Amino acid sequence: MAEARMPQKSLPKVNKVDQPFWEGAAAGKLMLQKCRSCGKVQFFPRVACVDCFGELDWIAAKGTGKVHSFTLVRVPRNPAFKDETPIYYLNVILDEGVIMESRLVGDTREKVKTGDRVKAVFQETHDPKIKLPCFELD
Amino acid sequence: MRRKKVCFVGYGSTEYSRKSEAAALSYYAEAIRDALRKTGIDKKEIRGFSITTQASPDYSPHVAEQLGLEVDWVLNGDYGGAGGVMSIRRAADAIECGHLDLAVLVGGNSFDRSTPTQRQLEYQRGNFVDVFGYGGPNSLMALIERLHMEKYGTTLEQIGKIAVAQRFNAINNPQALFREPMTMQDYLNSRMISDPIRLFDCVMPCSGAECILLASEEKAKKITDKLVYLVTDAEISHYQVANMLPDKTTFGQKVVGERIFSEVKREDIDLFEIYDDYPIAVMIQIEDLGYCKKGDGGKFVDAHDLTYKGDFPVNTGGGELSVGQAGLAGGYLHIVEALRQLRGEADGHQVKKAERALVTGIGWLNYGRNLGTTAALVMERRK
Repeated sequence: MAEARMPQKSLPKVNKVDQPFWEGAAAGKLMLQKCRSCGKVQFFPRVACVDCFGELDWIAAKGTGKVHSFTLVRVPRNPAFKDETPIYYLNVILDEGVIMESRLVGDTREKVKTGDRVKAVFQETHDPKIKLPCFELD
Repeated sequence: MRRKKVCFVGYGSTEYSRKSEAAALSYYAEAIRDALRKTGIDKKEIRGFSITTQASPDYSPHVAEQLGLEVDWVLNGDYGGAGGVMSIRRAADAIECGHLDLAVLVGGNSFDRSTPTQRQLEYQRGNFVDVFGYGGPNSLMALIERLHMEKYGTTLEQIGKIAVAQRFNAINNPQALFREPMTMQDYLNSRMISDPIRLFDCVMPCSGAECILLASEEKAKKITDKLVYLVTDAEISHYQVANMLPDKTTFGQKVVGERIFSEVKREDIDLFEIYDDYPIAVMIQIEDLGYCKKGDGGKFVDAHDLTYKGDFPVNTGGGELSVGQAGLAGGYLHIVEALRQLRGEADGHQVKKAERALVTGIGWLNYGRNLGTTAALVMERRK
């Protein structure tokens, strides 16, 4: 019982709306939604175009972008992440023109500045079906 | 829109506690009891009830039943930190429509673990934020603060001046959890939580509750001779929602401010109760509301005295930063303090000329943007 009560690192509870994103991530692809009517690209996953309410397709992003802002997390909301602090939490502006919230990983992360180029990497989790789209300095 | 015949007639508060596990319901009851005792109103005169809390969504009829309130109007006022202002707006609408003439609106929280759990994270925060080990709201506001500092040259000292001034205001407020003086060095040296957000940028979660009694003008005149009117109010939810590259350093308060100040003059406001989950949020709202240009918040703070004795009094009782944040009571704390000031009842931290107050609320740090709900109101003492 004690083990069952240990805090677990948070994983997505995959739902009908964002399932294609997580399937893509497991295959090493960063998936975004694109409006069939107006062509707008959006993230996070929704059921309609956030601009014109059109229907949506999924597209694979290039997986590159730049650092918009970042913070070094010393106190994670979920204490299970404590062993990884400081966590480099960031907002990336993808080249497709959307903001993605994620985490910066890799040995060079201490050098990060806003505006730096980054590329997506997919990190394994304790669930073999789930990979997390993180970023490294490019 | 300009309101004509809606009045704030009373308020109630509880003690704030960092440890108490007393039932949230007890806190709500205590805040209401305090308001009834101060105004001499009989509980049976209350015909409307609103509760703002982080507990489960269908909560307000349950709470009304627990408190023994037979009412003509009931509301779940859960709009995050904007819950106070936005609930007041809805109650005012109902009063103007004639559905009722007296409502009690409550915000509160307690650490009682035996009652329903806090509401779930909205799904995008669960699936696309929490999974990366973020530090809660502290991290989301840190992203905004870094952008403001880099884009506009805002300094830690300018941001810290807000926290230091509010602490000065709290020294004579018996409700405040933090009443020891704070220096700029104390602020700068406080522990880093999520760069550049440090400990003294953060609010202390606590148990407590606040409440407001809102009435029709006709009813108000029977209750008190200190008439405080709701003058005008505005809100916007999901400002910039369709913009995938939004300006994170501009909140919906920009739109709210334009609406508010089409009805009253900026320079006619005597005191400012500005939702302060973080000092940087106060600075950004001062800009958004048009008291200075976007990005000049740091210079504005340098040029003004923000204490209750100053030329631009902000969060005159210490705000959430020094009083504590009792969950969604945070959005009521500012309204209660404004009413206390306008009634001349803020012993030890009374603003000398207090006829008109601006109160704001902001709620729900959201994905990739900034605030989900933003709202403000102006209240005025009339002879």
